[in-house]
Amino acid sequence: MTVTFPVKAASAALHIEALVVAHGTTRVVHGLDIQARPGEVVTLLGPSGCGKTTTLRAIAGLETPLQGRIAIAGNTVFDAATGIDLPPERRGLSMVFQSYAIWPHMTVFDNVAFGLRARGAKRAYIADAVRHSLESVGLAQLADRPATRLSGGQQQRVALARSIACNPGVILLDEPLSNLDAQLRLAMRAEFKALQRQLGLTAIYVTHDQEEALVLSDRIVVMRDGKVEQSGTPAEIHDAPASRFVADFMGVRNLLPCRIARDGGRLLALLAGGVELPVRGPAPDTPVCIGFRPSAVVLSRDPVPGACTATLTGATYLGDTMQYELAAGPLTIHARVQARFAMAEGAAVYWSVPPEACFLVPA
Amino acid sequence: MRAENVLGVGTTAVVALLVLPPLAAVAAGGTAGGFAPLHHLDIVGNTLLLAFGATAGALLIGGGLALALVRGVPGGAMLERLVVMPLYLTPLLTAIGWSWLASPHSGLINLLLRDTFGLPLTVNIVSPGGVVLVTALAATPLPFLLISDALRGIDVAMLEAARVHGAAPLLVLRRVTLPLLLPAALAAALLVMVQALGMFSVPAVLGLPAGFPVATTQIYQLLDNYPPRIGEATAWGGLLLGIAALLLLAQSALLGTRSFATITGKAFRPSTKPPRAKVLRAGFAWLYVALATVLPIAALLWAASVAFATADVRLMRFTAQHFAYVLFAYPKTWIAVGNSVLLGALTATLVSLIGVAVAWVVLRGRGRGRPVLDHLSMLPLSMPAMVFALGLLWVYVRLPLPIYGTLGILLIAYVTHYLPFGVRAASAALRQLHPELDEVARVSGATWLHAMRRISLPLLRPTVIAAWALLFVMAMQEVSSSILLYSSRSVVLSVAVFDLWENGNPSDVAALGFVQLAVGVVVVGLLLRARRDAALA
Repeated sequence: MTVTFPVKAASAALHIEALVVAHGTTRVVHGLDIQARPGEVVTLLGPSGCGKTTTLRAIAGLETPLQGRIAIAGNTVFDAATGIDLPPERRGLSMVFQSYAIWPHMTVFDNVAFGLRARGAKRAYIADAVRHSLESVGLAQLADRPATRLSGGQQQRVALARSIACNPGVILLDEPLSNLDAQLRLAMRAEFKALQRQLGLTAIYVTHDQEEALVLSDRIVVMRDGKVEQSGTPAEIHDAPASRFVADFMGVRNLLPCRIARDGGRLLALLAGGVELPVRGPAPDTPVCIGFRPSAVVLSRDPVPGACTATLTGATYLGDTMQYELAAGPLTIHARVQARFAMAEGAAVYWSVPPEACFLVPA
Repeated sequence: MRAENVLGVGTTAVVALLVLPPLAAVAAGGTAGGFAPLHHLDIVGNTLLLAFGATAGALLIGGGLALALVRGVPGGAMLERLVVMPLYLTPLLTAIGWSWLASPHSGLINLLLRDTFGLPLTVNIVSPGGVVLVTALAATPLPFLLISDALRGIDVAMLEAARVHGAAPLLVLRRVTLPLLLPAALAAALLVMVQALGMFSVPAVLGLPAGFPVATTQIYQLLDNYPPRIGEATAWGGLLLGIAALLLLAQSALLGTRSFATITGKAFRPSTKPPRAKVLRAGFAWLYVALATVLPIAALLWAASVAFATADVRLMRFTAQHFAYVLFAYPKTWIAVGNSVLLGALTATLVSLIGVAVAWVVLRGRGRGRPVLDHLSMLPLSMPAMVFALGLLWVYVRLPLPIYGTLGILLIAYVTHYLPFGVRAASAALRQLHPELDEVARVSGATWLHAMRRISLPLLRPTVIAAWALLFVMAMQEVSSSILLYSSRSVVLSVAVFDLWENGNPSDVAALGFVQLAVGVVVVGLLLRARRDAALA
C-alpha cells in the first residue's frame, strides 16, 4: 500500500469559507475566506494576535471553529452547518510547529517515520519515504541519531522532513523560522522554497515577517483582528497596499494625509505645507493618504525641477544605506539612500518621489 | 578557612554522620543475623507482593490523576490540593479508618450491605488485597506530583504534531505521551516501592489479623518479644535494603543513557473536550479523594463518637466518652502530644537548615565533593525508615552515648529520614534564584556571608516555610522508625495510637487518631496564619 492523498487537480487544495473561531467568549477569527491551489504557498501574514495561528490550528483540527467550512483536497473536513468535524489525524495534513515539536524519545528516523507508521504504511515504503525526505533536507546521515542530539537548524530540518514524508495534501507551517538566528533563517528560507517548488508542495505558511512572506509566497493574506485585510500576490501587497494597516505593516513609513487635485492630464496629491506630489490614477472619491517607501525617495543637494524642498533633521548610518529624516514644513519624510550620499544635519535638500512608487490608500 | 568552605565541609560531615553509620550497621548486622528470611519465604513473597502491588496501584492511580487533572477539570485547583492530602495523613490512620469502613464483620460498609440492604456481599479490607489497596492509596500523591510535573514539562506541540501526522488520541498516548513520562514514572515507581517495602502501619493494622505478615511486621514482632531478637530482625532489614539496592540498579539500567529532559514549550491549554469527558475525569479524582482521605477520616470521626458500631440510624448512640477517655484518662496522650510537637518542630527546623545548606553547597559551591554530598543526602530515599531505625539501634546501643531511649535518637532518625525532602525543596527554590542575584551583591562589596544573609536566605524563606509545615506534619506522624526506637518517656502520638490499637478499645483508637490529626491541623494553621500576618505587616 502506498500512502497518498488524492489531490484533485481541478479543485482547490484548501478551501476555507466564512470561518469563525472563538476562544471562550472572544472571537479571534471572524468570517475568514481563504483558498489555496495545489502547489501554491499561501502565507497568512499579520502582527501577533491577528488570528493567523488560530486559523492554522483550526485547519489542522487542533481548534474547533464556531462557524464555517474547511475543505482539504475537495473533502470537507469541517462544516459547522452539517456537524462534520474530522479529528486532526484524519485530515491528511502535516505541520511544522514553531517549537519544531521533535519527539525527544525517538531517533531522527522514527520522528520522520511517525506519520507513515501512524497511517499504517508498509515497512519497505516507510524506509524509502523516510530516506527520501531526509535526503531532501540534507540529513540522510543523521537518521539513527537520537533527536535530543540535534542543533536548532537540524531540528528544523527534521521537522520539515517529517512533514513531507507522508506526502500530505497540505503542509501547515507555524512561524517555522522564528526560532533560528538571522543567518540560518535566510538559508532555511531559501532551502524551503527550493524544496517546495521541486516537490510541488501546497503550503499554508504563518509568519509575522513581511520579508519572509514576500520571498516565499505565491499569495499573501494579510490578516488583522481576525479578518482578511488584503489578499494578493507578493507584488500586489508590496506595491499596492490596500489600506494604511497593510502599508504600515509592509514597511511603508511615509503615510501622509492628502487631497487629490487634477492638473491638466495628471493627478496631484496636495499635502500639508503646500507640498505637491504627482500620482497615478484613478482618482479616489474618499479621503486618502499617500504612501511611499523611504527607499523610493529621491534626494538631491541641488535644485531639481519638480522637487520639493526640506531640511535634513536626522541621519542614521545603517551600513550600506543612510536613513534620513526630512522636515518639509509640518511634514516628516523618511528617506533611505545609498550611504555614499552623505549629508550633514541641517542641510537644505531637494526631494521627490516617482509617481509609480506612490500609492493612495483610504485615510 | 573561608566561610564558604566551612559550610561545604561541615555540611558534608553532618550528612555523612547521619546517613552512613546506621547504613553500615544494617549491612554488617544483616549478614551477622543469619539467613532468617530464607526460612520464611512466604513472608518474603508477601513483602514483594505488597511492594509490587502497591507500586503498580499507586502509579496507575497517580498517573491517571495527573493525566485527568493537568488539562483542566471543573474544580481543578481544589482537586489538585485534595489529591495530595494523603501526604499530610499517616497511613496508620488511613488503615484504621478503613478497618472501620470495611472489616468483614463490623465494618460500616458491610453493616450497610448486610443489615440495611440485606445483600449477601462482604467487602473485606482486612486481607492481602486490602493491605495493597490502602498502601497504594496512601502512596499515590508522589507519583501524581512527579508525573504532573513531567506532563507540564511536555511541549503540547509534540502531542499536537502526533495528531496532525495521523495518530489517533490513544496512539498519541502510547507512542508519545507515555514514553515521555517514562523517566518520571520510573523515578516515582522506585520511591513508592521503597515506601511500600518499608510500610509498617498498613500491614500491621490490616495484614496481621488476616495472616499476611511482611518484613516490617516481622521486624517489629522480633524486637517486641523478650528477649528482642535483634540479629534476626536485622537480617530482615538487610533483605529490605538489598531489594532497595537492586531496585536502584534496575532503574538506572532501564533508564540507561536516556536523559531526555523534555524541551519545554507552550504549556497545556485547557482542553476543548466535551464537558462529559471532563466530568468523568473529575469524578475519577473525586473517587480517589473519597477513598484515600474523606471516607477513612469520616469513619474515624464516626467511630470515635458512637457508643457501638451500627449502621442503623435508629440504634446509633453518640457519645463523648472516647474523646474524654483519651484526653483525660489515657496516661500517654499528653506526653505523646508534647513529644510529637517538639519532635515535629525540631525535625522540620533541622531538616530545613541542613536542606538549605546541602542545596547551596551542591548547586552553588565549588568543592569537588559536591556529587558525593548530593548522593549522600538522597540516600535515605532508598532506605525504608524501619531499616534505618534498626541501624540506629545497632549504632547507639553500643556507643557510650546517652541517646538510646530518648527523644534524641528519634530526632536523629527523623532528620535523616526526611532529609531528602528538605534538600529537594531547597534545591527547587534555589534553582529558581538566578546566581546573578547573589553575584551582584558580591560585586557590590558584600562578603559571602553578608550576601547569603541579606539576599539568598530571605529569597528562599517562603519555600522553606512551606517545606517546614509539610515536614512538621510528616514527622509528627512518623510510625515505622518510632515504633522501634521509643521508650516510655519518649512515646509519640503515632506510637500511642498503635499501642491503643494493639491493646485498647477500637473507638478510643479512633478518638486518639483524631486528636493526632487535630494537633497537626492546629499547628500548621497557626503557622500559616503567622506567615500571613507577617506578610501583611
